[in-house]
Amino acid sequence: MYRKIVIIAIIELLILLGSTTLLLAQSKYTVSGTVKQKSSGETLIGASVVVVEKPGVGVIANTYGFYSLSLPQGSYTLLVSYVGYKQELIPVELNSNVMINIDLSDEVLLEEVVISSKRNDENLTTATMGTEVLDIQTAAKIPVVFGEKDLVKTIQLLPGVKSNGEGSNGFSVRGGATDQNLILLDEAPVYNASHMLGIFSTFNSDAIKDATIIKGNSPAQFGGRLSSVLDVKMREGNNNSYRVSGGIGLISSRLTVEGPIQKEKSSFIISGRRTYADLFARLSSDFKGIQLYFYDLNAKGNLQINSKNKLFFSGYFGKDVLAVSNFLGSKWGNSTGTLRWNSLVSSKLFSNTSFIYSDYDFNVSFKSDGNEVNYNSNIRDLNLKQDFSLYPNSKNTLHFGFNVIHHTITPTKAEGTDIVRDKKGRKALENAVYVSNSYEASDRINLDYGVRFSFYNILGGDTYHIYRDNRSVETITLDDGEVGKTYYNWEPRLSMNFIVNRTASLKMGYARNTQNLHLMSNSTGGSPTDQWIGNSYNIKPEVADQVSLGFSKNFKDNAYELNAETYYKSMKNQIDFKDGTDINTVPDIESELLFGKGRAYGLEILWKKKEGKLTGWIGYTLSKTERKINGINDGQWYNAKQDRTHDVSIVAVYELKPQWTLSGTFIYTTGNAVTFPTGKYVLNGMTMYQYGGRNADRMPATHRLDLSVTYERPARRKYQSSWSFGLYNVYGRQNPYSISFEENKKNPQKIDAVQSSLFRWVPSVTYNFNFRE
Amino acid sequence: MRDVISILSAALLFTSCEKVIELDYKGNQSRVVIEGNITNEPGPYFVKISKSIGLSESGTYPAIDNAVVVVRDDFGNSETLTRQGSGVYATNTLQGVEGRTYTLLVEAEGQSYTAQSTMPPHVPFDSIKVGEVTIGGDIEYQLIPVYKDPAVKGNNYRFVLSANDKLENQHLVQNDELRNGLVNTIRLEVNDDDLKLKPGDLITLTMQCVDANVAMFYTTLALMGDSGPGGGTTPSNPPGNISNGSLGVFSAHTVEVKSVTIP
Repeated sequence: MYRKIVIIAIIELLILLGSTTLLLAQSKYTVSGTVKQKSSGETLIGASVVVVEKPGVGVIANTYGFYSLSLPQGSYTLLVSYVGYKQELIPVELNSNVMINIDLSDEVLLEEVVISSKRNDENLTTATMGTEVLDIQTAAKIPVVFGEKDLVKTIQLLPGVKSNGEGSNGFSVRGGATDQNLILLDEAPVYNASHMLGIFSTFNSDAIKDATIIKGNSPAQFGGRLSSVLDVKMREGNNNSYRVSGGIGLISSRLTVEGPIQKEKSSFIISGRRTYADLFARLSSDFKGIQLYFYDLNAKGNLQINSKNKLFFSGYFGKDVLAVSNFLGSKWGNSTGTLRWNSLVSSKLFSNTSFIYSDYDFNVSFKSDGNEVNYNSNIRDLNLKQDFSLYPNSKNTLHFGFNVIHHTITPTKAEGTDIVRDKKGRKALENAVYVSNSYEASDRINLDYGVRFSFYNILGGDTYHIYRDNRSVETITLDDGEVGKTYYNWEPRLSMNFIVNRTASLKMGYARNTQNLHLMSNSTGGSPTDQWIGNSYNIKPEVADQVSLGFSKNFKDNAYELNAETYYKSMKNQIDFKDGTDINTVPDIESELLFGKGRAYGLEILWKKKEGKLTGWIGYTLSKTERKINGINDGQWYNAKQDRTHDVSIVAVYELKPQWTLSGTFIYTTGNAVTFPTGKYVLNGMTMYQYGGRNADRMPATHRLDLSVTYERPARRKYQSSWSFGLYNVYGRQNPYSISFEENKKNPQKIDAVQSSLFRWVPSVTYNFNFRE
Repeated sequence: MRDVISILSAALLFTSCEKVIELDYKGNQSRVVIEGNITNEPGPYFVKISKSIGLSESGTYPAIDNAVVVVRDDFGNSETLTRQGSGVYATNTLQGVEGRTYTLLVEAEGQSYTAQSTMPPHVPFDSIKVGEVTIGGDIEYQLIPVYKDPAVKGNNYRFVLSANDKLENQHLVQNDELRNGLVNTIRLEVNDDDLKLKPGDLITLTMQCVDANVAMFYTTLALMGDSGPGGGTTPSNPPGNISNGSLGVFSAHTVEVKSVTIP
């Protein structure tokens, strides 16, 4: 097996060499540059650059808006396009390597609702599978609870992505667990992507450019999680003029300031957000002494050093605070920082170097009887990432690089009055080297193939126990600086696209992903008390192999798009823990762990309407996901809690008049797989419940309709504003949040199932404004 | 710790609403339930054998009256318990002693079941302290059992709570994992959805020093009772200490009772 992959890697290198020699023989030149939005200078990720004279020859701008094309000497015309923008024809006289930066104007089409920022028929022509890009304009029009536009909530409306539950920002992709999603904010991993227990995401939409979700078939440059990559990119800020924008809502407000540092060259953006529901609530005596809010701050700046080098800094800082009188206090939050250096090494070689810092901290303290107990957990990363994009010729685009992450993970630790507890932070290195190539094999076949080699080193500084049958059989103490066990994994990735005709294509893909960090959670829904743990002598990397097959067809000149994909995923080294384990107080959680495997399969259909007054999509998922863990359910397969057979989402945005937009979403999902009691008995005078198979029951189905209407006031020179009115759960469905069982008050022999629901009819009003210099 | 989530969600001003719904339950496999208690108080001690019934069934729990029940300790004492009717079996001469390990043997319906439990040393139960916290406009009462944990690590305590002489169906467990060898200051994690304490309420707590397996049994029940976003841990039959798939638990423990009236 390993030998095979090594051979693939060698072949890849050969292609690289082959194309270089080809280049020497034919005296080709390169045109390269950056595609940007004219009005703001924001780079346009995924803009397409096509050579008019050579049908089928073209390139997609990378995540930094950079493109590069190598062509034989001659005169060409480049057609540069990006949905929602006016396309440009750029004449090029190619006698030497040239650099052309292209600005696309968005002014003509800005009012049009953009559902996908991708090229109109990109779903047909690229080999990428299981990938959806959402831009913030789309998210802005979609109704959400409390009126706070939210990328993560919008992504949950796509097939294959399932919300963990109402009000939750946790999600499951293709049957994976919540911790199996790699969530990146400007390349920095975000360990807890929600505020207020999941009602809000950590992503302030004013500061976000777009988000890409890759459902398991990610290119080799991504790795570290089994199920998906959610790649969120922050805006860079307007490099032409200063702007202030913001929004005032019922429970939160936002403010963003952006502008040029060097005009048309570099810019900054600072965006902040805070909820204030608790400030109002405190006026009522019922909520005296309760503190509950979150705030977050996004900042980004870029500096153009010269035409070939650019520096970016982006930072995020967020905190949730909850305190009840003087007896409970808790705080948790993420901070991330990314320093990036984009460099054009040559017209064919683009380099990005990132230094990334990421930190998640949770702290809760209880006071009783004059004593205090503090629980604290923390994960801190220092991360170096080097990516190269090489454009050897118009047929190949190579990506290669490496990534080294130094983790310090401190599991939940109790501290406080009289508590002597010595839990140390565990250190580890998570490393990866990758190479991949996008190869246009013919007019009809596109290939993306690559391999990621990941290895994880346990670093010294702590004591590790090896458990067999939950008993410690060996103890390993690693000194500081000592390297302990190392895990190696090869992760081959392949996806292929076959263009059947001008409107249809077939795709297939295979990917292996591995995961070295694992989330321990006592609750089914996810909570800030959940804690991360790295590989150890007991915990092996999780491994998932996914094969998928897809079909895409466009109708009416790409106005409609149909995408269907099926997948089968098998997962190894899945982790759960024994019943009765309190993960926060157990001396060593590793003694309580159970291991097993998982499988997930399904069919996803997405039908999009991308043009006209009415735009939107219908998504449908049919799926199954199961686990088989030694020590749970007698070692038999059982439904994972996130297993839901049917999942439907309908999203519609209708432009009533140029100033009025009406939008709605409808969702229907099968209930989660849960365990209800089957019987009862009496023990020591208390009624007890007897349970059968794990997750053999279903919560009732969830369905809901949300509506919103947006009125954009006609722009008054420098001032633009809009009002959004929303109603969440229009028909007031009491969707199941949890079910508990209790004895009927009148007839104790009867057991009642009591369902509790969260939100019914939540109205919202938001005022958004934008002021430009 | 476990109720942090419930407090969090309660504080989130949710417009939460509840209703009773009808569900279809899976068929239940009736199983033998064994409840056995040996204490440091004078006997007789009782073992009760019954069977579980389906969730929506009403009527009495079937008692098993033709079982053979034997209890012995690790000092060579052994006796066959006397049938009392309604599934109850009683000891005659056996005396529970701290530090001894008791073995229960049951022959019922052609199956045999065994269990073992060790009675930990008695830890004196000094008093119940009542704490007050104001959450929003409400006063919540906290119950803090006062006892001095011994210097040796590994003590587990179970508390049985009665309010106004009514037994509460709550599982309350403490251990010395965090603060070994100290006077306890940690409150009991009483589920206040089920029990709202008010001034004048008579609270009775029975403190039981239990062994690790019995503590695990009740801790599992306590974790399952947790409610928070998405619910607590996935429910299951708690890991009892009785062999051969019987439900229930056999516990050798010390007993001390204290009462307090909420001021």
